[in-house]
Amino acid sequence: MVMLKRIALAVSLCALTAGAVQAADVVVSSKIDTEGTLLGNVIALALNANGIKTKDRIALGATPVVRKAITAGEIDIYPEYTGNAGFFFNKPDDAAWKNIQQGYDMAKKLDYDANKIVWLTPSPANNTWAIAVRNDVAGKNNLKSMSDFGKWVAGGGEAKLVASAEFVNTAGALPAFQTTYGFALKPEQEIVLSGGDTAATIKAAADQTNGANSAMVYGTDGAIEAAELTVLEDDKSVQQVYAPTPIIREEVLKANPKIEEILAPIFKSLTADELRKLNGKIQVDGEPAKSVAEAYLKEKGFLK
Amino acid sequence: MEETLAVRRLDRLGVVLVVAGVAAAALLPFIYVKANRIASGKPMLLMQLLDQPSVAILTLLLVLSACAVLFLENAYARLAISTLCLAALLAAIGFVATSFTPEGSTAARMTPGGGFWVLLAVTSLIISDALVKVRPRPWMRVAALAAYACLLGIFLWSGLLDSLSIMREFANRGDQFWAEAWTHVELAFGSLAISVAIGLPLGIVCFWVPKLRAALLQGLSLIQTIPSLALFGLLMLPLGYLATHVPLAAAVGISGIGAAPALIALVLYSLLPIVANTVVGLEGVDPAVRDAAAGMGLTRRQILTGIDLPLALPVILTGIRIVLVQAIGLVTVAALIGGGGFGVFIFQGLGQTAMDLVLLGAVPTVIFAFSSAVILDAVADSIRGPAA
Repeated sequence: MVMLKRIALAVSLCALTAGAVQAADVVVSSKIDTEGTLLGNVIALALNANGIKTKDRIALGATPVVRKAITAGEIDIYPEYTGNAGFFFNKPDDAAWKNIQQGYDMAKKLDYDANKIVWLTPSPANNTWAIAVRNDVAGKNNLKSMSDFGKWVAGGGEAKLVASAEFVNTAGALPAFQTTYGFALKPEQEIVLSGGDTAATIKAAADQTNGANSAMVYGTDGAIEAAELTVLEDDKSVQQVYAPTPIIREEVLKANPKIEEILAPIFKSLTADELRKLNGKIQVDGEPAKSVAEAYLKEKGFLK
Repeated sequence: MEETLAVRRLDRLGVVLVVAGVAAAALLPFIYVKANRIASGKPMLLMQLLDQPSVAILTLLLVLSACAVLFLENAYARLAISTLCLAALLAAIGFVATSFTPEGSTAARMTPGGGFWVLLAVTSLIISDALVKVRPRPWMRVAALAAYACLLGIFLWSGLLDSLSIMREFANRGDQFWAEAWTHVELAFGSLAISVAIGLPLGIVCFWVPKLRAALLQGLSLIQTIPSLALFGLLMLPLGYLATHVPLAAAVGISGIGAAPALIALVLYSLLPIVANTVVGLEGVDPAVRDAAAGMGLTRRQILTGIDLPLALPVILTGIRIVLVQAIGLVTVAALIGGGGFGVFIFQGLGQTAMDLVLLGAVPTVIFAFSSAVILDAVADSIRGPAA
């Protein structure tokens, strides 16, 4: 019996020391993609500059990996997109996701109730599906929004869109754009890449592969500017909003309450234009994400 | 009779290599000149670059090598010419890349094209074919590997290749590269050590207890059929649970992400070749030898350590070689669960359509796997040598 008690004591001591180590260092993580790596570095640099010690687990893996890691308590903070919460909590069709404020509020409430994870102040950017057209085509036909694009195509405009099969077939993507903006692409106006990601579609439009002049993109893709494309504004809010937001475990936030006020002004400053520029520096010019993040924070005065 | 056969076979291989080399040099771009990392780039054929002295020298050496492969019977001569050719190839791509890089540009990228890679492969094959014909002793092969590694090292150190796209990526990630390289080595050798420690005794038990053999080997074969990405993912859940609910597990570094699941998955994949080769190696020992030892009064344990294992060692080493090369490749996937290694560059590069960054992960992985195979082969042969 005494022996058992001793073992229990030893185990709980181990638990205490392990807990103490975790509380001291905030484990900063992110997804492995370009924007995730950028925002992860932004968070880590900002926290370090304000005297909060961090442990670097940036570019950890794909969304499911990072998500599992934070719910298991293995990482403390990482940037997530508001629209993704719809998939985490199995209600992807809720209309709230199409509004930046409502989507944020719902994600915040769902994740806090279920996992005690706090959604901090989001960025005003929206990294969602969009259509971009070549600058020359946009200029000639005065295309700025999806309404302009709809009118142009419906009036016989010669659009040729390169997109993934998912974008063309998912009810919420191209079909929703077509119904809302009143246009219909003919089959010969579509180039469908079965497994295509935006990197491939942007390249195709830039090189005019098979006559492509418009492409499926994500709103903050870094390659858009280098490929000389213009993103058309989704002026009737067809797509769900994917606003990047730092999310943190409540336990860690309580131990370091300053984190909220450190990150809020930084994420507010990260508009879609800024993110596109920063992502472009990483993706097009090949600069390391950390130095891009550092240069941005210094330029905006968040870092000395 | 045997000698003429060998010569004819060599010629046939030589013809194939020369045809492949000529076709690649004539039809595939030697280098792509790109304005930035993801632009399509302007392809340049070797013949469009002939005004550059380095390319002119390379072309001359390529022609010489082709002639040597087709007509020269002396393997040493072929080895010398093709090694010169390899050096000229590396020098030429470096000089060409430098000449096309705009002054002070950080965005421009010079990416080696298909022509360069095929010529590199063909030249390497000619060199290794000549090396095989020389029939070097095991330690000579390791020395040759070291010599070629030195050649590459001199090129890298001299800065001649710094304008190449892959070296630009390296320059941007110098510290991270070495950290990931070390993680890669640790994961590969760590999983090898653990799987030998588990697999060798398992193999011996399987050899002694035939009933266990079929069940265990089938179980291990089943694990081999699970795709690596799926196995890494499957391990995350139970390990994460263990880490959050058993404080001791977390204290010793077990967690659902990072090195722990990567190491466990790698060990699971590595067990089959080790166990199977141990069993096969032990089965290959002549029962008469074992009987004689027993007759001399040796105990079971003495027979195992003094007779069975030494005689089975070359086969077991072959299994270890398979495992190491396999593990070095598989470690790349561990990057997806936070395990680190060269896979980090491969997956980041794929995400950014930056093939140069993919190469920064892939090329060192290939070199690492190839060198390990050559060294382990040499070790296995030097052990087999005196016995034969």
